[in-house]
Amino acid sequence: MELFCLGLNHRTAPVRVRELFAVGTPKLGQASHDLMAGVEAAEAVVISTCNRTEFYIAAENADEARHRLESQLASQVPENEDLATHFYTMQKGEAARHLCRVVSGLDSMVLGETEIFGQVKQAYQAALASGATSGVLNRLFQRAFGVGKKVRTETSIQEGSTSIGNVAVDLAEKIFGHLKDSEVMVLGAGEMSRLTAQALVSRGARSIFVANRSYDRAVELATEMNGRAVRFDEWQSVLEKVDVVISSTGAPHAIIHRADVEKARRARKFRPLFFIDIAVPRDIEPAVGEIEEVYLYDIDTLEQLAEEARLRRQRQIEDCERIIDSELAKLNLPGT
Amino acid sequence: MGMDRWFLIAATLLAAVGGALGMLSVHRGQRSRWTVLWMAGAFVCQMGFLVLRGEARGACPLRDLGEILAYLAWSLTLFYLLVGPPYRISLLGVFTAPVIAVFQAVALIPGVLTATPARILQSNPWGETHSATSVLAYGALALAAVAGVMFLVLDRQLKAHHLESGLFRNLPPVRELLISLERLLWLGGLLLTVGIIAGFLMPRKVGTEGHFVAAVSVWLCYGLLMGIKKVRGMTGRRLSLSAVGLFVVSLVVFAFV
Repeated sequence: MELFCLGLNHRTAPVRVRELFAVGTPKLGQASHDLMAGVEAAEAVVISTCNRTEFYIAAENADEARHRLESQLASQVPENEDLATHFYTMQKGEAARHLCRVVSGLDSMVLGETEIFGQVKQAYQAALASGATSGVLNRLFQRAFGVGKKVRTETSIQEGSTSIGNVAVDLAEKIFGHLKDSEVMVLGAGEMSRLTAQALVSRGARSIFVANRSYDRAVELATEMNGRAVRFDEWQSVLEKVDVVISSTGAPHAIIHRADVEKARRARKFRPLFFIDIAVPRDIEPAVGEIEEVYLYDIDTLEQLAEEARLRRQRQIEDCERIIDSELAKLNLPGT
Repeated sequence: MGMDRWFLIAATLLAAVGGALGMLSVHRGQRSRWTVLWMAGAFVCQMGFLVLRGEARGACPLRDLGEILAYLAWSLTLFYLLVGPPYRISLLGVFTAPVIAVFQAVALIPGVLTATPARILQSNPWGETHSATSVLAYGALALAAVAGVMFLVLDRQLKAHHLESGLFRNLPPVRELLISLERLLWLGGLLLTVGIIAGFLMPRKVGTEGHFVAAVSVWLCYGLLMGIKKVRGMTGRRLSLSAVGLFVVSLVVFAFV
């Protein structure tokens, strides 16, 4: 029995090709079963996420099974599309190693992301439930999950936020702890502020106020986030009760000045206040950050923190690879 | 050397080792999960010391500087164990353990702790209450000062955007630190009030007016601080600086008065 993997991902194929082979989560079990029967293999697992589709197969005659699979896949694409440039094939130990890298987040678009672990687990469980797996793939996937966990616990590959939105949310939690007692004001209803506000809401922020020059747009965004729209000239009164302010207006000059915040301090009883300025040009005068209880972060600082986290993760790759190699060396997996 | 001293040595070593290991794990960016156990061990040894000294004295063991320091260390440990859990005990312990170790180490310096404690023949219940609650209050106020230092460190790092250290990752959130600091100040203030009332009711010796004035002044300062915080509000930095400053000043005052 031999193991091989055939797949494509965000590095080898553009989205117009990836979407041709994407399999919806509810269909993963059936897809694994159909694949096993279609290529006459003993076992099969189909993994499909927005960045990759991979087929893990264990067959008595791996070459034949792979040819059948390639023919099947070729029939799914237009004639002018050259599949060979998009798909990669790995065999035996190399395939097992690749699965461990995928599960550990080392092959992901965002290095070290954790979502892939759950997605692979879901795909494997669907295949298991449909009867498409047995001795070889069961052992391979279970071991790969063990290796993935070890990589995440023994290295800091998943530490730190790598996007501006997540850095902002992490900082908000460092200042306020659980966000369920925190109120947020969004100034400007642009895409960046919407994403950051949504990230705060997803972590439990109690309520959202949206102020925008176009009141209709403020209402639209507030409705989307289950918040409250306020007229743009009323944001100063809202400042007295909120804990976090996300500002991303298209104003050509600063709209929040030190004097505006000074006015609200007494009413706020000098509680901590977190300003996230993701506008260019900046919406918040830098002098606002000099106020004792104010923490001010602009887009450059947030981006720098995200970049530092990305670099830290990059530096962890060697350690992760070492763990994977040493774990695989111990396992003596069948089919590899 | 008496058994009481051995208990105090053990408590000092446990606190010192707990603090050192805690700092090491924080430096590595990990949470100091075992600090609470080292502190619990230190607490048991402190209890052993206080029980033996209490039996020897036949009263609350607060008769010399060594006993006062040991009792203060015990109350700090007690509040750490009681107040700790909701506020990420591990790091509060890392900050508290060295303070406890220093207090107890000073108590162990020859001459600071009376080798053969004399039995107290006539003890007054108000006097005992005054001593016990006052030192207990200082335990709470010392822990408030520790929380204040933790806030000042975190505030500085957040303001300067220096977020890389293991210490930063392990510090509790700003709001939680401020809440625990405020609660400890209230608790300390309440105990201090009981101590002062008991002080009024106990028979006073001639020449203790200075001590009395100092105690009332400290109590008034803490009362003023809490009053301003409650009514007008106060920035975290000012509250923390005040908690640290007041604690240090009051310790210095009582060392001389």
